[in-house]
Amino acid sequence: MASFLLRKIRRELDSLTSSQLIIVLFLLTFFLLLPLGSILYKGFVVGNHFSLAYVEQTFKDPQMIKIPPNTALMKFTQIYRFKLLPNGSRALIPINILAIGSEGPDFGYILNSIFVSTSVMIFASIIGVIAAFIIARYDFPGKNVFRVLLFIPLLATPFVNAYVIGKVLGTSGLVNYLLNNVFHLPYKLVISGLPAVIIIQTLSFFPIVYMNVLSSIINIDPSMEEQAENLGAHGLKLFRTITFPLSLPGLASGATLVFVFSMEDLGAPIGLAGAFGNGLHTHLMSFYVFSQFQQAYSLSLVNPEAYIVATIMLTIATIGFIIIKKYVSLRQYAMLSKGGRWSPRLSRPKWLGLAGVYAFMTLLVITASFPQFGVIVLSLTNWATSGPLPTHLTPNYILALVEKPGVVQAIKNSATYSGLAIAITVLLGTSAAYIVARRNITGREAIDVLATIPIVIPGIIIAVGFLVFFGSLFPNTLFDPFINPGTLLIFTYTVRRSPFLTRSVFAGLQQTHVSLEEAAMNLGASRTRTFFSITIPLVAANVIGGSILSFVYMMNETSTSLILGSHQPSQGPITFLMSQVIYGSGQVSAVSIAAALGVLLMTLQIIAIAVSNYILKQRVAFLGV
Amino acid sequence: MVNVKLVNVTKRFGRVVAVNKVTLVAEHGEFFTLLGPSGCGKTTTLRIIAGLEYADEGKIIFDDTDVTDLPPYKRGTGMVFQNYALWPHMTVFDNIAYGLKIKKLPKDEVRRRVKEVLDLIKLTGMEDRYPTQLSGGQQQRVALARALVVEPKVLLLDEPLSNLDAKLRVEMREEIQRIQKKLGITAIYVTHDQEEAMVISDRIAVLNQGTVMQVGTPQELYKRPRNLFVATFLGRYTIAEGLVKEVSSEGLVLLHTPAVKLLGIVTSPEIRLKEGDKAVAIIRPHAFKFHEPQTKSSPITGVIEWVSYLGPYYEARLKVGKLSFLMTVDPSIKVEVGMKLTVYVHPEDIVIFPAKALREESYGAELK
Ligand SMILES: Nc1ncnc2c1ncn2[C@@H]1O[C@H](COP(=O)(O)OP(=O)(O)O)[C@@H](O)[C@H]1O
Ligand SMILES: [Mg+2]
Repeated sequence: MASFLLRKIRRELDSLTSSQLIIVLFLLTFFLLLPLGSILYKGFVVGNHFSLAYVEQTFKDPQMIKIPPNTALMKFTQIYRFKLLPNGSRALIPINILAIGSEGPDFGYILNSIFVSTSVMIFASIIGVIAAFIIARYDFPGKNVFRVLLFIPLLATPFVNAYVIGKVLGTSGLVNYLLNNVFHLPYKLVISGLPAVIIIQTLSFFPIVYMNVLSSIINIDPSMEEQAENLGAHGLKLFRTITFPLSLPGLASGATLVFVFSMEDLGAPIGLAGAFGNGLHTHLMSFYVFSQFQQAYSLSLVNPEAYIVATIMLTIATIGFIIIKKYVSLRQYAMLSKGGRWSPRLSRPKWLGLAGVYAFMTLLVITASFPQFGVIVLSLTNWATSGPLPTHLTPNYILALVEKPGVVQAIKNSATYSGLAIAITVLLGTSAAYIVARRNITGREAIDVLATIPIVIPGIIIAVGFLVFFGSLFPNTLFDPFINPGTLLIFTYTVRRSPFLTRSVFAGLQQTHVSLEEAAMNLGASRTRTFFSITIPLVAANVIGGSILSFVYMMNETSTSLILGSHQPSQGPITFLMSQVIYGSGQVSAVSIAAALGVLLMTLQIIAIAVSNYILKQRVAFLGV
Repeated sequence: MVNVKLVNVTKRFGRVVAVNKVTLVAEHGEFFTLLGPSGCGKTTTLRIIAGLEYADEGKIIFDDTDVTDLPPYKRGTGMVFQNYALWPHMTVFDNIAYGLKIKKLPKDEVRRRVKEVLDLIKLTGMEDRYPTQLSGGQQQRVALARALVVEPKVLLLDEPLSNLDAKLRVEMREEIQRIQKKLGITAIYVTHDQEEAMVISDRIAVLNQGTVMQVGTPQELYKRPRNLFVATFLGRYTIAEGLVKEVSSEGLVLLHTPAVKLLGIVTSPEIRLKEGDKAVAIIRPHAFKFHEPQTKSSPITGVIEWVSYLGPYYEARLKVGKLSFLMTVDPSIKVEVGMKLTVYVHPEDIVIFPAKALREESYGAELK
């Protein structure tokens, strides 16, 4: 038996498999497992002993869990303002301010995060399911326009979009301008705090549910619904009993992703802080960890509770990953990505239905994509300084992208880090995908999990892990995060974004019959030669498509860029600069430069999505986990 | 050209035993076929020979060399895959030349040999096409050429004709046989089509549920099936159940069925029947004689209940009690529905098996 195992190991570990295993295990151990492990070490080891002291301290900290919670949702105040009357005299008139979220709710950082993520998940699911069902089952003029517009909220413009929303919803924002100056009503509405975070995140994350549910519905064999109709089910009943249950895998994975993304999001709290100043919208786990590590020039200054909070986030993310895995296994993923093989079941709504569909879709598309349009306006006009509405166009902010040395440097930094990271990612992603798809070795499942789990692991957690691990063990080297954050950013980008490429290559391998590779080996080609002359050319489209997506996500990467970048601003990438400008700098017009950078990122994303859709001939690979 | 030996080869996939203690030898230059129903382990056996799958137990030997642990690229087999596995990113020429380039042959020799093999498979002039620009039959030929051009020790073919239409299938099987004989190469061929196997093979191994049921020439398998599975898997037949009345010293068995008395033979020394045992008789359609022969034979009298014209001959069913015998009838003999008729079957054409084989699970499904 032992000799049989030995023979098996000798057979399976040819030179290709051994090299690939070494690459994958080295990268994932050093740049994922050990950094994450060192967070746990910091949180649970006190003076060489395992200890729950910090856990206890964290849970007793009234900042973390507020007892009793503040459940106030809104506050009325009245202010008086002089108003010019038609007869020329001035009168003091009252204005009623309804402030939502400024005083409460507040449950403490930990529970706030859970409350926000849960709410975002629920609202995003409701909106996403309705939108997916309408797009999948109804045919109406202009449908394709809506389909495209529904992608806009996914275009990431970190911080600036939240700033735009803040600007629109703020005391002197667009909404109140309309209320006071156009409709002459004595009311003001101000939304901030947790409700504002929920609104912003729902609007930017619902497309994830929408896309996952849509691909589930499209992949339902029409005969299933036809059979149910044949038995007398129709309309809502058909939806409730057949269509909806069959699309549950898509909903489950979409909703879980939304929960995790909402929990780790820094864009909304930082953007809102830029618009309203610090407030309850920053009382979230993600922001807490961020602020602890952004300010710390030495790890000894960090409150140990930050490690416990990080562990909580890591645990929630891991649970989310398990849920997604359970619902959408890799195999199903391959099926999903093939897209509709059946002729779709479409119906034309009657005029009342049609009116409903248009009303819903129009409202959704406008509210969900105005931040992106706002960013464009911000970058092209003087809106940042002009009050509720812009007054004139200016090319200055776009020109700053190529003229201002600091801005140019940030763009260069981003491109360099992402370019190098892509090279490593191709090595890591093709190796991991090949081992998982083609090699039958022990521990294959573990590699599969390690290579894909970074999709859900919050970036801040990875950044903190890097600070702790490399900061304590590699001081004054190329890997010292306080001196050379740029080097480490290359590896955080690799680890965080490689799952997109791994996924894409894996899907390609699943769709390529293994006999094509076996035929080469049968003719005398070693596994290495087969890999390079047959396998890689056959999945080239997936490698390229996956690389493009990964590259764009790297350019957009926020959380690790922010935390690591803050220790050497000259090495900071685009997103770091944007956060500085929005949150840090007092110079208001600089917001417009951040907007210009946002426009640059959006452009890159649109090009990348278009090109990779063209190459991969599929839409779903993009966020399907 | 080698002889290929499998010794006690077993392969499991989880709890499924795909190949169960298989021992076989394919001789030098022999056309050897693995035949059996779908899922019986033919492909797995072939892949184990190619090294694409490793046996859990047992040995694979080419001539005197133990290749059990050799990777596929060191075995020197030429495999033709069921789906052809032509590389879509290479032309016909590059597909065929691939194996030669691996061997680092000089360019002009590669050219010459590709051209030779293209002549052999009658595809001259197609070098620059891509696989997607070829018809199914042409793709099949390219796959064959790609395997042959490296002059493999043994040619392995996994249901190579299953994706072709019926007419092309007949053409190609003759072609494959012609090329194999011309090159004198050992070939191991996998199919589930018993007619194809009979036509093409020197010898056949019949497999069922991973086990070898019988190995022999097509004639042996057809005339002397050693078990009920082989008897019923190959060719058409009528089955009659009854009680053993007598076992003679020459080994002839007299079987009393409710309708007729049949005198038949036993094909395997492992089959032991005695008076009173339940048994079944298998009779092929062509075994029925219409004139009483000089030698001992079993007369069967019944009424024709169905006649069908099939070109060179008729098929008819003769009803006797609850039994219905399927016979082929020479057109010179006039039969019509309702006619009363007596036919005669020689003992050599009636093969008797114990009836319990019929109840054994493994046969149940095949008998339907
Ligand atoms: N890679 C595999 N994993 C699991 N089971 C397999 C695998 N390959 C074959 N089998 C099982 O082994 C048995 C024999 O398969 P196969 O050799 O392909 O049969 P055949 O070619 O005779 O149709 C079948 O039950 C099949 O399901
Ligand atoms: Mg098979």
